[in-house]
Amino acid sequence: MTGKELGDVIVEAHGICKRFPSGVLALNNFSLTVRSGEVVVVVGPSGAGKSTFLRCLNGLEDVDEGSIVIDGALLDHTKANRQKIRTEVGMVFQAFNLFPHLTVRENIDLAQVLVRRKSRKEATRTTMELLERIGLADKASAYPAQLSGGQQQRAAIARAVAMKPAVMLFDEATSALDPEMVGEVLEVMKGLAKDGMTMLVVTHEMGFAREVGDRVVFMESGRMVEDGPVESFFTAPREERTRVFLSQIL
Amino acid sequence: MTFAQYVRKNKLRVRWQPWGDVLKLALTVVFCVWFFARGAGELDYNWQWRRVPRYLFSYENGQFTPGPLLLGVLVTLKASALSLVLAFAFGLSAALFRMSRSFAAGLTAKVYVEAIRNTPLLIQIFFTYFVLGPVLGIGRFTSAVLALSLFEGAYASEIIRAGIASIPAGQWEAAHSLGLSSFHTYTRVILPQAMQRVLPPLTSQGVSLIKDSSLISTIAIYDLTMQGQVIVADTFLTFEIWFTVAGVYLMMTGSLSLLAKFLDNRLKGGNAAC
Repeated sequence: MTGKELGDVIVEAHGICKRFPSGVLALNNFSLTVRSGEVVVVVGPSGAGKSTFLRCLNGLEDVDEGSIVIDGALLDHTKANRQKIRTEVGMVFQAFNLFPHLTVRENIDLAQVLVRRKSRKEATRTTMELLERIGLADKASAYPAQLSGGQQQRAAIARAVAMKPAVMLFDEATSALDPEMVGEVLEVMKGLAKDGMTMLVVTHEMGFAREVGDRVVFMESGRMVEDGPVESFFTAPREERTRVFLSQIL
Repeated sequence: MTFAQYVRKNKLRVRWQPWGDVLKLALTVVFCVWFFARGAGELDYNWQWRRVPRYLFSYENGQFTPGPLLLGVLVTLKASALSLVLAFAFGLSAALFRMSRSFAAGLTAKVYVEAIRNTPLLIQIFFTYFVLGPVLGIGRFTSAVLALSLFEGAYASEIIRAGIASIPAGQWEAAHSLGLSSFHTYTRVILPQAMQRVLPPLTSQGVSLIKDSSLISTIAIYDLTMQGQVIVADTFLTFEIWFTVAGVYLMMTGSLSLLAKFLDNRLKGGNAAC
């Protein structure tokens, strides 16, 4: 993975603070820069603010302080800006969140037609190509409830990828899956990484992080603890706290 | 798994006892007949059912003439159908207002729903006809439809609001993260799912609307109830006419329920598994 060509800055989060109404400080002066084509894996104990960070990046949560720039555009509080930026940020959720009243094909077509203003035919062509690639072409007219968890999550990834976003966020995409289905979803994510997709991945799959990640970010209590290349993170972590964390999970 | 499937899967043998069931049914029928016959007999009332049909319709020399009751049915159906559409519009608007982030919109919807739900429909009909009618320059029938739809709309709004609130947050987040506008999030993602869930309670609200529409007879609209009242005053066929009127209402509400069931099946056809 070393020597990968990295492009422009796609995500630039600077000094983000986020306090929940309950008083919990989820993000405490957190900064992170992600370049085009980079796969950044975010790890840390639960409650570290990993998911909150991803949700801030596409405006699902408001930040209290700090700035977020996605592909050159500053995220602000206006509706139009937020909507525009969201089209550049694909998100994959732990609970898939497919639309249950639409077929797999309709799920993937929907935003292409409504947001990207493609014709239905064009959208469906993109959809079918994607489904072909992830091995779900035969499920195009199935409803989400008729699919297994792994199939649903693959379809959800396809739905986000179909928008051709500048960056993809994965919020514990495999945590809700039965163990035997984790592999098929990780395969799809690996394929995306190979195609040069910029990815921010919150995961507990350390094998995936090692194999696909370029950088690993370790966070705790809303702060950055360590940010480094994948090889040195696992073999020679700088921080004591990282060492303890790794010894617990590896 | 349904009970029947459970029985089949576990090869449970349930002995069907036809004679027991037939006996129970027969006893129930006998009891009902006896009960009503006894009640009618005790009433010391001269039943004259044969005089009723002519008030429904007459058919002479190949000429079909609707009677006053049938004309009343048409008025009731027209008022109910219009109110049904308007009530849905009021209900949906109030629900969306209530859920919007705007304080003014939320307050408006709350005042509307509380004011309507906590006062009698009869007074609302009078108020609309005698007070609002002259101000807005609307007639008798329009006033009636407006009062009815405002009333049922307040109930419908609570039903629709509950339906929208029952859609998991993940659906909103997924729609938002795809860059869908609020309008598209509502129309393409949230409302289709919510409507499927609220169709049964909305149907019973529709049934209430048809029955409540009998109150518009109080402002002299010749609906089914009003026609019944007139005929009873003329003929003293009190029970025959009122029972007939009730039967016709039953047919109307029953048709609506059947229609809703059909719609529900079609909506569910797609994702039966959820």
